[in-house]
Formats: sequence, C-alpha cells, structure tokens
Amino acid sequence: MSDTPTARPRQSILPGWVRGPQDFIGGLVLVAIALLALWASRDLQGMHGFTFGPGTAPRMFAVLLLGLGAAITITGIVSDGARFPHYSWRGPLFVMLAIVFFALAIRPLGLVVAGFASFLISALGTPETRWAETIIVGVCLTIGCALLFPYVLGLPMPLFPSFMVR
Amino acid sequence: MADLFHNLILGFGVALSLTNLMLCLIGALVGTLVGVLPGIGTIATVAMLLPITFGLPPVGALIMLAGIYYGAQYGGSTTSILVNIPGEATSVVTTLDGFQMAKQGRAGPALAIAAIGSFIAGCAATVLIAVLGAPMTKIALSFGPAEYFSLMVLGLIFAVVLAKGSVLKAIAMIVFGILLSMVGADIETGASRMSFNIPELADGLEFATVAMGVFGFAEIIRNLDTGAEMDRDLVQQKITGLMPTKKDMLDSLPAIFRGTVLGSILGILPGGGAVIASFAAYTFEKRISRNPEKFGRGAIEGVAAPESANNAAAQTSFIPLLTLGIPPNAVMALMVGAMTIHGIVPGPQVMQKQPDLVWGMIVNLPLVGIWVRLLRVPYRLMFPSIVVFCAIGIYSINNSPVDVILAGAFGLVGYWLIKHEFEPAPLLLGMVLGRLMEENLRRAMLISRGDWTVFLTRPLSAALMAAAAALLVLAVLPTLRRKRDEVFVEG
Repeated sequence: MSDTPTARPRQSILPGWVRGPQDFIGGLVLVAIALLALWASRDLQGMHGFTFGPGTAPRMFAVLLLGLGAAITITGIVSDGARFPHYSWRGPLFVMLAIVFFALAIRPLGLVVAGFASFLISALGTPETRWAETIIVGVCLTIGCALLFPYVLGLPMPLFPSFMVR
Repeated sequence: MADLFHNLILGFGVALSLTNLMLCLIGALVGTLVGVLPGIGTIATVAMLLPITFGLPPVGALIMLAGIYYGAQYGGSTTSILVNIPGEATSVVTTLDGFQMAKQGRAGPALAIAAIGSFIAGCAATVLIAVLGAPMTKIALSFGPAEYFSLMVLGLIFAVVLAKGSVLKAIAMIVFGILLSMVGADIETGASRMSFNIPELADGLEFATVAMGVFGFAEIIRNLDTGAEMDRDLVQQKITGLMPTKKDMLDSLPAIFRGTVLGSILGILPGGGAVIASFAAYTFEKRISRNPEKFGRGAIEGVAAPESANNAAAQTSFIPLLTLGIPPNAVMALMVGAMTIHGIVPGPQVMQKQPDLVWGMIVNLPLVGIWVRLLRVPYRLMFPSIVVFCAIGIYSINNSPVDVILAGAFGLVGYWLIKHEFEPAPLLLGMVLGRLMEENLRRAMLISRGDWTVFLTRPLSAALMAAAAALLVLAVLPTLRRKRDEVFVEG
C-alpha cells in the first residue's frame, strides 16, 4: 500500500457499460491467450482421416478457451462484478528483477555472487527493509546455500565467478 | 490375505530401515519448516524442496518427498491453529476451532490432537491402501483409453466443483492448463508445438517450474502488496502443557475414528478429495454432536475430525495415482513429476513404501516451540530468502537459466490470476492431466476409427461421463451453489 500513488481515479479507462471490470479484462486476456495459441499452432497438421494430427488437440482446446474467455467477458458486461484490481509495481518489479538477474548471473558469476545480489535486489521490493539486518541475513543465507546445494545435496553448480576460478 | 500381511510387513521392513527412517524424518522436519512459513502452501513447499531430493537413490527420494508432503501439511495445520492462517485448503476448517483453542491457551493440546489424529488416520489409511491395492489394480486392467479419458474428465469436473468462486472461471483455468501441457514436442509425431523456436520449450514446460512460479513467486508478490509486515494475529503467550488431558483424548478419539473413515472414502475420488473430506468431517461432527454450540468456540472434536479426515484422504488419494497412474490433485501431480525425474513409474510397488511416512508426523510434536518461533521471523527478511531459494531450486532441476526466467514469468501470470480471482489449482491439475488426456483421447479415437460416440457406448466410460455431467449440473444449480458458498464462508 505504501507505494503506487493512488491519485489516478479508478475505472476511468473502461467505458461505463462494463459492469464487472475484473471479469471483463480477465476474459479478454484469456481470449488473447487462446488467439495466441491458435496462431502458434497454425502451421501444425490437423485431422488426417480419423487420426489426430499434432495440431488437432491444441486447436480444439484453444477454441474452447476462446469460448470460455468470451463467456467470462460477457459476464463482466451483463452483471455487476468486482472492480478492476489494484496492482502495485514495487513488489513485482524487484522480485522479477532479482529472478532475471539470478538467471543471467548464475553461469558466469556463480552461486555466491548471484544468490547474494538477487537477495538484495528482491529486498528492494518493500520499503520496510532495514539494510543492516538484511545484509547479515543475506550473507548467512548465501553461505548456507553455497554449502547446502553443491556439497550436501551434490548438485553441480558454479560457486564463484568463472574468471576467478581459472 | 497372506499377501496383504506380506506386503505390510515388507513395507514396514523397508520403512524401518534406518536410512529411510532418517530421510523421512528429515523430510518431515524440512517440510514443516517451510510449510509453517506464512503464504507458502503444501504445493509450493513440495515444489520448492523437490531439488533437495535429487542426490538420493529413488526409493529414499520418494520417502523423503512424502515426508516433506506430510511435514508441509502439518505445517499448514500449525499455522491454522496458531495464527489463523490456513496453509492450504485442507486445513481451512482447522482454523475454526483450532485458533479458538489457541486463544484460550490450549494451542498445545490442539497441535497434539492434530498430530495424533493425523497419525492414527495415516496408519489406518495405509492398511486400506494395501487392502484395496490389488483389487483396484484389477479394475485398472479393464480401463481402455476411452475410460481413462472419461475418468480424467470426471476428476477435472471435481476440481471445478471444489474451486472457489465462478464455475466458468475454474473451467477456463483447466482448459488453460491443458493448453500449457501441449507446449513442446508432440507425443506421436514429435512435431514441435507452440514452442516459438525456444529450444528450452521443445521438451515442454516443466511442471515444477510452472508450480513454483504460480504458487511460490506469485504468492510472494501478492503478500508484498499488502505490505511486508503482514497482519499476523500472533499468539503471543507461551505455549504450556503440550499433552492433551485424558478428557481431551476421550472426546476426540471417536471423532478421529469417524474422520478417518470419512476421509478414506472421499480420498479415493479424483479431484481433490482431501478438501471435501475435511469439510465433510467437520460438518458431520457438528451435526451428530450433543452440544453443537461448542463448535467454533474451541471444540477439540472440531480439530480432531478434519485433521484426521484430510490425512486419511491424503493417503488414500495415492490409490488412483498408484493403480491408474492418474494424479488426483496438484500435490500428487508434483509427486508424479518427482517420480518421473527419479525414473520411478507410479505403480503398486510404490505403495509398499508408504507405511513409514506416517512416522514423520510424530517427530514434529516436541518441536512445536521452534515452529512458533519461526512464525515470528519478519516477512521482510523471509521473502528475499524464499526468492533466492526458489531460484536456486529451479535452476538445479535442469541446470537451465531459462527455466528460472520462465518460473518468474509464471509468477507474474499467477499474480495476474490472483488479481482477477482465477484459481491456480485447477490450472495445475489441467496441466498435469492434459498430456495424459490428449494421449488417451487420440488413442480412443484411433481405436474407434474416429467415432466420437465411443465415450458413451462403452458402459464404464458412459457411467463416468454421466457422473461428470451430473456433477457439473449440480455445481451450476443455484441451490447447491448457495450451499457450496456457505461451506466456504464457514471456512
């Protein structure tokens, strides 16, 4: 609640005849997903006599999802429903940044650097973070993981930056 | 009969070997440890801890996973009782009387009864699995592709009926899940489907990746929304007197027994029997109780019955998985995924490794004090740790950075789903059953030479389809809808 200035009036984007914005948008997104699936499976072979081709089932279920999404959208028009949900940006942004950073850094920089850095990045996700304790916990967690995964569990992964090991 | 005893003795023999017992204990401990963390349900716990079993031999890994599962479930009950936050749907009912007991300073007996009830129910259901295993396997032999397909439809409809909120949205989630399961190579022709030329998608989406994203990351982001300092109505007083009194025991024993019977029966149904089992057991206890007004004000039967019922159901839900190879719920689906990774084909032989698992419950009792302390760890420190731990876990499954990014993307998808009140559990179930459904649908069509009526002309398949249709109609009917909503409101 502490982030995202809430000055912008709610429901201003959608026209007045949308009575359940939550369902309306939710249904539309499902329709979009179904269309994406149809587009992605467009070049797959369909029915071949009475045998299914690789494209038959995906198209079947994509059409089904299209119908369901449309039905949910219509529900959002004909009946009163929940308002458009409130999204915050800070949590999702920093948690995603931490995940992406980890994915990019684990191979070249190793577990110690990648783990500690993404710990700190995700800690930015809330304004309540107190940095002194966060850094202490982060160091402990990194050491714990560096011992747990490669040694105790025997899962192969680089620990330190590759340029240092060489 | 002789076979049965042989199986059981063999099972307990395997179970009681020291290594396996240790693995189970460790699994249960770690499972509870993660399970009591607020906002992490059973599915997320199992998904998160999956990688730590990779280094073990298959049987040990399976035992440890099951230990994690039970531990996580107990962790969920612990938070239900102590802080009024159910770890997952099956322990929602436990909050009703469990938290009231905790408020009256009787958290100790409540936790103890939950564990004792789970233990008794687990043991009883294990025997039931051994008894029913062989006959169920025979039934399984009469299942052709058409029957398999119909049974899975029935299971999915069950999941729809049990999901909260709109039936339409729940069905949409299942179909979305099925579509996700079709990403990757086609089973018969090997053609690459919907993989957008990303090599990591060629083998399909890893189930654990999606589960961790939709349940783990999404839950973290959602919790951050409300401020990291979650409103936790914590029981501050020290927990004294762990053991229940003699009166507590006498009150709860019949409830445990009834809960076990009810749970065992309902657990066999595909599509989330454990959830209905706990609700049904609670309602049943309340109805037959001589003083029903006690319920909701800290009645020990209100903890004992649902806790034993959901555990019995969790055990018997292994039956459809082991005999038919169909996972009845999302947790079981993860277990199948784990088994496949370890190269175990789900089948009757796995059942014999069941008995030991219940022992894991016992170790948890003396440690309640530690779990309570763990609940006091502030969320601002917990969530970055969970993010890093999940990321390492996903990376270690395939040593693939792309999987980590995919899980992150599914975290965003899950966050969106939560915001628009779509239930993620049917999505996961659809994703797991999707591949099996398509395979059996294609086989059935091939055998029937393209005749769609095959699902209605074979008697067993027709019966299953009729049951599914009846359930769906019931779910949409207004009277039952109201009742269903009431049940969830009560929870």
